[in-house]
Amino acid sequence: MNGRDAVLAAVRRATRSGVAHPGPHPAPALAADFASFAATLVSVGGEAHGPFPGASLAAAVLAHARTWAAGGRIVAEPSAAALLGTASIEIARADAAPHSFADVAVAIARGSVGVAENGAVAVTGDDAPHRSLLFLAERVMLLLDAADVVGDLHSAMRVLPASAWRSQLTFISGPSKTADIEQTLVHGAHGPRALAVFVHRT
Amino acid sequence: MSGPRFELDARARSTLQDAATVARHDAAVWMLRAKRDAAVAQVPDFEALRTRAAAIKDHTLDQLDHYLERFEEKARAHGVVVHWAPDAQALCEIVETLLRERGVARVVKSKSMLTEECGLNPWLEARGIDVVDTDLGERIVQLEGEPPSHIIVPAIHRTRQEVGALFHRHMGSPAGEEDPERLMAHARVDLRARFLAAEAGITGANFAIAETGSLVIVTNEGNADLGTSLPPLHIACLGIEKLVPKLDDVGVFLRLLARSATGQPLSVYTSFLSAPRAGGELHVVLVDNGRSALLASESHRRALRCIRCGACLNTCPVYRRAGGHAYGVPVAGPIGAVLAPALVATNAAKTLPYASSLCGSCTAVCPVRIDLHEQLLAWRREAPALPASWRRGARLGAWVMERPRLYRVATRAARRLWPLLARPFSGNPATPWLAARELPEHPGASFAERWRRTRGARK
Repeated sequence: MNGRDAVLAAVRRATRSGVAHPGPHPAPALAADFASFAATLVSVGGEAHGPFPGASLAAAVLAHARTWAAGGRIVAEPSAAALLGTASIEIARADAAPHSFADVAVAIARGSVGVAENGAVAVTGDDAPHRSLLFLAERVMLLLDAADVVGDLHSAMRVLPASAWRSQLTFISGPSKTADIEQTLVHGAHGPRALAVFVHRT
Repeated sequence: MSGPRFELDARARSTLQDAATVARHDAAVWMLRAKRDAAVAQVPDFEALRTRAAAIKDHTLDQLDHYLERFEEKARAHGVVVHWAPDAQALCEIVETLLRERGVARVVKSKSMLTEECGLNPWLEARGIDVVDTDLGERIVQLEGEPPSHIIVPAIHRTRQEVGALFHRHMGSPAGEEDPERLMAHARVDLRARFLAAEAGITGANFAIAETGSLVIVTNEGNADLGTSLPPLHIACLGIEKLVPKLDDVGVFLRLLARSATGQPLSVYTSFLSAPRAGGELHVVLVDNGRSALLASESHRRALRCIRCGACLNTCPVYRRAGGHAYGVPVAGPIGAVLAPALVATNAAKTLPYASSLCGSCTAVCPVRIDLHEQLLAWRREAPALPASWRRGARLGAWVMERPRLYRVATRAARRLWPLLARPFSGNPATPWLAARELPEHPGASFAERWRRTRGARK
């Protein structure tokens, strides 16, 4: 018997009693505004900026990126670069190898949904096709439309596009962190030392 | 009658030796429980989430074969290769073969209690493959050459001084450095180079979604994300109980998991991986290793609901004072003591259900409502592991208690002997207890005697 048949046969030996699925969890009535999202994001160690009117977003983002990068390399995913409409920053090339972002100071990507209850931003494979960029960069900036903030995680999962579940998607809630040495919180474990979300209104 | 007789008792004497270490460990672990409580209070529907999570898991476990096959079908459609391992050795062989066929010599690994349970690291290391645990706590215990002592905070038993000395030896940090932030900075540089050089990444998974064929992997450090986005080969090892039916179910578990574990509203990184990275391979190994036996057990099936948050460890009066190493099995604490008789199944592991006061604090915090203290009691009934002399003693006690007149005579005699029994001496059956506690003062009369005296007066 091969491994697959052995495991499935063993599982089938357990009796089935027809336990029904309880159905979807009703989304709780939680605040879904930018201020609530921003407060949670700050509480988990992130920065929240905005909301900016569409026209002023690019200037604010670029100024922040240049301060953070301090002369280092800034790379934007194509989706974010399109939103910023600027030709003055490096755009991640479609054929770039994952290891080629090892020296990036600041990465910029677009997020699809923000979640007020946990300060997370969902970044899909379409938003950020170069997954390693989001984790190798010293600091990460995410761009989010204020209209894309929802109250709770159930609602976030329900509005994400189906394509998100065919490639990769990451909810990012603050900067990389650890408390593995005597429960002392340290930002910048393996991933980014800082995370800023720039919210705009279209 | 001298000396410890139970696994946990014996090990606790050598792991957390002095009162100061015990107190520090207790406080560190209790801090997690306090953070959990604060986080839970922020969520209006937390109790409803627990109930729904338990119901979703019970449904999934009831039809696990269906969901395993559905997951396999969906994952395959996205280019994922699915393997099946009936036991620990099968898992190790599958992973070794995948690595060998691709000539992999350097692997980065993120936290997976399953691979601890199956002994994957020692298996690969014995065959010349370099495996680096990348979670900071896991890296600390790996360099110390010891197993993790907590499923969420693997090095919670270590002080900053010990970590400083360890990093000085292995990573060249300055002697005497003990600032956690600077120690992390050294580990970051050391491990970043290993991430970039690795030819394969091994991870566990927190959930596997049947509807979409997706894996859900949660970390705070981002180590699983580096380990899956850089190397061309990703192998995910997961127990068959990790399945959930639908995408919509995952939100229920994710809203419970981090809050129950560390009090965070969500872990920093929650990644849904549904396909290999561009130009890479993704292999998933579904592991049984004793889980189907638990599934077939009416009394213990519920233990498979576990999402490995660690809340039951953080609240357990035994775990907090004994430390994780005292359990001698991969998963410590109440859930470890419930899983070990089935998944580890050594004679020592079967004594773990006795290492509990059955206070029920674990059951009160479990996010998937496992009746942990009832499970511990059920194991004592199903797999008795008391020494023969204790079993004889218990039978004698039962025999006496069934005979009221004999019982009264016996207890009267015991009261006479009480001052003697309260002192440790060889031959006193109470000596092992008296090493750590004192017998209370005897009230001088039995309940029945006092009742007879006072009942008339109360009327």
